Amino acid sequence: MMRHFALLAVLAAAPIGVANAQDGSDQETVPISGTVAGICVLGPPSQTAVDLGQMINMSGPDAGRIAPLAAQEVTLPDSFCNFAGTHISVSADALLADDSTTVQPGFARAVNFTSTVTNWATGDATVTTAATAGGAMPTAEASGGTQPLPRIADLELTLNNFTVPSNLRLVAGAYAGSVTITLGPAAAPEGN
Amino acid sequence: MIGAARRRPGKLNWSEQMMKRSMILAVLAASATATPAFSQSVDGTVDITGSVADRCLFTTPSATLPLGELARSGTDTNAGRLDESKVDGESRTLVGWCNGTAATMSVEAFALTNSDFTSPAPNGFDRVINFTATADANSESATDTSVTAGAGSAVNVGLFTGNVVVTLSESATPGGGLLVAGDYDGQVVVTLTPNVSFNQPAA
Repeated sequence: MMRHFALLAVLAAAPIGVANAQDGSDQETVPISGTVAGICVLGPPSQTAVDLGQMINMSGPDAGRIAPLAAQEVTLPDSFCNFAGTHISVSADALLADDSTTVQPGFARAVNFTSTVTNWATGDATVTTAATAGGAMPTAEASGGTQPLPRIADLELTLNNFTVPSNLRLVAGAYAGSVTITLGPAAAPEGN
Repeated sequence: MIGAARRRPGKLNWSEQMMKRSMILAVLAASATATPAFSQSVDGTVDITGSVADRCLFTTPSATLPLGELARSGTDTNAGRLDESKVDGESRTLVGWCNGTAATMSVEAFALTNSDFTSPAPNGFDRVINFTATADANSESATDTSVTAGAGSAVNVGLFTGNVVVTLSESATPGGGLLVAGDYDGQVVVTLTPNVSFNQPAA
C-alpha cells in the first residue's frame, strides 16, 4: 500500500514539472511584407504593321473609288492587368495620303475605318474615324467597358468598315494610319 | 575558595574537614561538568538549496523583413510574375537563449498573402507566395514550409545564447501565375521551448 502511495506521488509531480518548464518558452515573430505594383502589359501584336495593299478599284464604274477591303485582325496574346478596374482605350488615325496638298474637288485623301478591341470586358472598345476628304480631324478615340477583376487575355483588334468621305475618288500615293491601344486603369488613382 | 583551603596548614577539625570535602566535591562536580566543553565540538548544519527553471527567452524581441516589389519588371513573358530573388536568401536575426539541455526550436512559416485583394485569384493569377523558412541557432536548423499548415519539426538546440537567424528560401506561387497587385503580408514564428532538463535539483 505504501508503494502505491509513493508511485502516485511521482506521477502527480511529473506533470507539474513539465508545466513549469513549458512556461519558460518564448516565441518570436518576424513579419514579412512586400508589394506588387499594379501593371498592365499588352502582348506582342501578331503583326506590327497592316498592309491593305491596293485600296481602290482599278476598273469598272467605281474605278478610282475605294474597293471592298477585307477586315484585318491583329492579336495581342497574354495581355494582362494584375489589378481590378481596368479598361481598353483605342485611338485611331484615319489613313491619310502622304500628299498633303489640298485635294481637288471630287477627290479625297482620307480613308476612315473602324477599330474594335474585344475580349477584355463587357463592352468592347470600338471607334470609327471621321476624317474629312481633305484629311482634317483624322483622330478618334473611345474606351471599352471596365474589367472588374485582374485579367489575362488575348486581345483581338479588328480593322474593318474602310470608307472614304462621300465615297470620293482617292488621290494617288501612299497612305498611312495608325491604331493605338492602351490598357490601363479605368479611373486615375486618387490624388493624381 | 579553592585557594583559601590550600593555604590552611595543620590538622583540620570535623567541620573543616567537611568543608574541605564539600569543597573538593564542589571542585570535582565543577570539573565534571566543565570538562566536555573543552574537549569535544559539535556541528550544526544549514542546508541551502535552490533551483533554476528551464527557460528560453528572446532578447531581441522584434524584426521586420520588408521585401519591396515582388513582381518581375519588364515586358517579357515573365513580367508580373514572382521575382524569387526578392524573397530567397532574405534573412533577419533574432537573439535569444535557452538554459536547459532539452531546449528545442521550431519554426512556422505563414505565406505572403495579398491583403488588398482577398477574392480568389482569377485564372492565370496568384495572390499567395509560399516559401520555406529556416531558423539557425546553436548550429541547428529548424525549417518549415508555408505550403502546409502548422510548424515544422522541432530540433534540439540545448543550452545556447546568441543569434537565431531566420532565412527565407524556395519561394513560389501556387500556379506560377501573375501576381495580383497589392500589399503582401506573411510571417515566420520561431518558438524556443525549454522542455525538461534532466538532473534538475529537487524543488
